[in-house]
Amino acid sequence: MSRAGARFGAVALPLSGVAAVVVVWEVASRLAANATLVPPPLTVWRAFAAMQGSDLPADIGASLLHLAIGYGLGVGAGLALALVAASSRALEAIVDPFVEFLRPISPIAWIPLAILLFGVGRAVPVFLIFYASMFPIFVATLDGIRRVDARLIHAARSLGASRRLVVTRVVLPAALPSVIAGARLSLGVAWMSLVAGEIVGGDAGIGWRILWYQEFFQMDRVMAAILIVGVLGLGADLLLRALQHLARRWNPAAAESAA
Amino acid sequence: MTGGMTRPLSRRARVLLPLSVLLVVLASWEAAVQATRTQGLVPHPGGVLWSGAQLTANGVIFQAMSGSLARVLIGFLFGACVGIPLGLAVGAFGTLDRALRPVLDALRSIAPIAWIPMAILWLGVRGNAALFVVAYGAVFPFIVNSSQAVRQVDRRLLSAARALGAGRWVMLRSVLLPSALPMIFTGARIALAFAWASIIAAELAVGIKVAGHGRSVAGIGQLMVETLYVKRDVDALVFYMLVVGLVSFAIDAGLRRVQERLLPWKSH
Amino acid sequence: MEKPLDELVRLQGVGMVYQSSRDGERVEALAGIDFSVRRGEFLTVVGPSGCGKSTLLSLIAGFAAPTSGSVLFEGRPVDGPDPARGVMFQEYALFPWRTVAGNVEFGPFARGVDAATRRARAQTLIDLVGLKGFERRYPHELSGGMRQRCALARMLANEPTLWLMDEPLAAVDLQTRIILQDELLRLWGDARAGAQRPTVMFVTHGIDEAVLLADRILVLGRRPGRIKEVLEVDLPRPRAALRGSAEVARLTAHLWELIRDEAAQAIAEETQ
Ligand SMILES: Nc1ncnc2c1ncn2[C@@H]1O[C@H](COP(=O)(O)OP(=O)(O)OP(=O)(O)O)[C@@H](O)[C@H]1O
Ligand SMILES: [Mg+2]
Repeated sequence: MSRAGARFGAVALPLSGVAAVVVVWEVASRLAANATLVPPPLTVWRAFAAMQGSDLPADIGASLLHLAIGYGLGVGAGLALALVAASSRALEAIVDPFVEFLRPISPIAWIPLAILLFGVGRAVPVFLIFYASMFPIFVATLDGIRRVDARLIHAARSLGASRRLVVTRVVLPAALPSVIAGARLSLGVAWMSLVAGEIVGGDAGIGWRILWYQEFFQMDRVMAAILIVGVLGLGADLLLRALQHLARRWNPAAAESAA
Repeated sequence: MTGGMTRPLSRRARVLLPLSVLLVVLASWEAAVQATRTQGLVPHPGGVLWSGAQLTANGVIFQAMSGSLARVLIGFLFGACVGIPLGLAVGAFGTLDRALRPVLDALRSIAPIAWIPMAILWLGVRGNAALFVVAYGAVFPFIVNSSQAVRQVDRRLLSAARALGAGRWVMLRSVLLPSALPMIFTGARIALAFAWASIIAAELAVGIKVAGHGRSVAGIGQLMVETLYVKRDVDALVFYMLVVGLVSFAIDAGLRRVQERLLPWKSH
Repeated sequence: MEKPLDELVRLQGVGMVYQSSRDGERVEALAGIDFSVRRGEFLTVVGPSGCGKSTLLSLIAGFAAPTSGSVLFEGRPVDGPDPARGVMFQEYALFPWRTVAGNVEFGPFARGVDAATRRARAQTLIDLVGLKGFERRYPHELSGGMRQRCALARMLANEPTLWLMDEPLAAVDLQTRIILQDELLRLWGDARAGAQRPTVMFVTHGIDEAVLLADRILVLGRRPGRIKEVLEVDLPRPRAALRGSAEVARLTAHLWELIRDEAAQAIAEETQ
C-alpha cells in the first residue's frame, strides 16, 4: 500500500484537483451559455495553442525581461542597503526610517506617478518591480544579519578571524536563509507589480497583452493569458523554493519551519 | 556588525539623525525644483503640501477614500468567509491539501489585477469589478495562514488535553482555537494589506478604461487616474500616494494593536 | 606571593556595568575584581547564576572591555580577541554550515595556515578527541557530547596558551560528562609537570566538577559579582582516580557551605 499509495498521492491527487477545476469551469460556461462570458476550457486551450504561433513567446520574453531588470536591480539595491545599514548603527538609524516610511506605499500607488514621469512604456513595470522587490529583501536581510548568533562571531574572532573574514564566513552564511526567504518574498510582490504595471502603464508583456486581447473582445485569449500569468508566477516561486531548500541543508530547524 | 562591536546609539541620536537627514533632503529637493523652474512637471515638497491642504479642505479625498475603503472591507470579509473554512479544511485533511495545492498555488500566482477584464465583463465597471479583484486578493492569505494554523497545532497539546479528559467540544474551544487563532489573525492582517493594494490597482485599471467618460469619482484609484490624465497635477498625485501609504500603515498598526489585545498569548 | 612571571592574566580593579540601549537600565555585573591567573594552572570558577562568570570570561577573551579597571594578558592590556586565548562556549557555538573538519580547521584557516598543514592538524585533533569517522558530519548530525568534543578540537587547533571554557559540559548528560572530564584532563596534561601545561579557566555550576578538576577554585558572590573566596585544592594528580574519594567529598561539602545561601537567594530573586 505505502509505495503505491504514496505514488497515487503524489500524482493522482493533484491531477484530480486540476480535473475538478476543469469540470466546474465547464459547468459554469454551460450554465452561462455564452462562450464570451465564460469561455469553456477547450476553447481556451485552443486559444492558447493558437497564441503560441503568434505573439506569446515575444510577450513572455518581454515580461521576463522586465522581471530580470527590475528584480535584479531591486534585489541588488535591497541587499546593498541592508549591508550598509548593518555596518553601522548611525547608518541604520538613517536608512531604517526611510524604508519604514516608503514600505507602506505599495508599488501600485506609484503607477500614476511613474506614468507621468516615464510615460506609458516599459519603464513603468520595470520601475514598479524594482521598487517592490527592494523592501522584502532589505527587511529580511537586515533581520537575518541582526539575528546572527553573537557567539558565532565571538568564536570566529577568538579563532583569529579578521573582520572581513567574519563578514564573509560567518555573518553571510548565517544570514543566507533569511536572504533567500527575502528574495522569495520579493519575487512574489515583484510578480504582482509586473502584472499591474504592464496592465495599467505598459506597452509590452503578458500583462499588457491581456488588455490588448480585451480590446478585441477575445475573451478566450484573455483567459489563456491570465492562466499563463499564474503558471509563470508559480514557476518562478518554485525555482526560489528549490534554492531555499538547498541553502537549508545544514540548518534543520529552518528546514522544519519551511514545510 | 553584531555582537558588541558597535555601540548602540542614544535615543536622541536615533530620532535626530534621520530627521535632520530628511530635512536636508526635502530642502535641497525643493531648492532644486525652484531653481530649475520645473514645478508642475516634477513634484516638490511645497507643492505637495499645498495640494494636500486644498484636497483635504474641499473634502474630495474623504469622499474617494470612503468609497475605496468600503469596497476593501466587503472584499476582505468575503475573502475571510471563503478563505478561512477552505484553509481550515485543507490544513486538517492531507488528501484535500494534496489535491488542491497545485490549483491553489497557481491561482494564487495570478496577480488579482490580471482578472480585471473578466471582472469588468462579469460585474461591470461601477465598482463591482474592483470588488471582485479585492476579494480575490484577500482570499489567499486567509487560505495559506488558516491551513498552516491547523497544521502547526501542537499534537502534544491535543494528547495532553485528551489525557485530561477533554471532550470534542472542549478540545475545539480550549486547544484548537487558541492555538490557531493568532496565525489566522496574522493572515487577516496580510489579507487586509493585500486588499488595500489590490483596490488601488483595480481602480486604476478600471479608471483608465473609463477615463474621460466617467464623471463620478468612485474611489481613490479613479481619482488618481483623473488627476493623471485630466488634471495632470503631479503634486496631488504624490499627496494621494502618501495618503495611500498612511492608510496601509494605519490599518496594519491598528490590527496589530487589536491582535495584541484579543490574542495576548502569542503575537506573530 | 607568586612571582610576576608566574601570572598569565592579571585583573586590576575590574568592574563591568551593562547598560540596556532601550530603557537605559544599568546592571552592575562585576565590581572590584583583583585577581591573577597563574601560568599552567587549572582554575575553576563557581558562583550563583548571574554573578558575572560569563562576563569575566568574555572580558579576558576580549569580547568586551571592562567599564573600570584593566585586564592584562602576558603583561599587556587585552584589546580584542586573540588566538592565544581560546574560547569554548556553553552552547557549543559551532558553525552549523561547516562540517566537523571544517569547524576544527577554521582557526588555522583564519590565521592563513596552508591547506595541507591545517588539514593534517585538524585530523590529528579529531582523532585525539575521539571523533574519527565523523569528519564530514554537520553539527546538527552529532550528539551533544560529540559537539562538545568538536568545539574542544576547534579551540585546540590554534594551540592557545589560555583555555577559556564557559560551562562546557553543562549541556551533556552525566555519564558523558564524566568521560569528557577525564579526557579534558588528559588533553590538558594531568599527568605532566605543571609548567608545560596550558592554563585553563573553567566556569561550572557543578561544584564536584569544580573540585575534581581544579588547582584553585575562584568563588564569586553576586550583585555585583565580587570575589568571595579563593580555594586551593591540594590534591594529587592525576585526578581521575580521585573521583568519589573522601577528600573530594570533603572539599565539595565545604564549597557548598560557601555558596549555598547565595544560590538560594538567587533562586528566590528569580522567582519573584
Ligand atoms: N549583554 C548584556 N546586557 C545587559 N546585561 C547583561 C548582559 N550580559 C549579562 N548581563 C547581566 O550581567 C549579569 C551577569 O551575567 P553573566 O552572564 O556574566 O552571569 P553568569 O554568572 O555567567 O550567569 P550564569 O551562571 O547564569 O551563566 C546578569 O545579571 C546578566 O543579566
Ligand atoms: Mg554564564
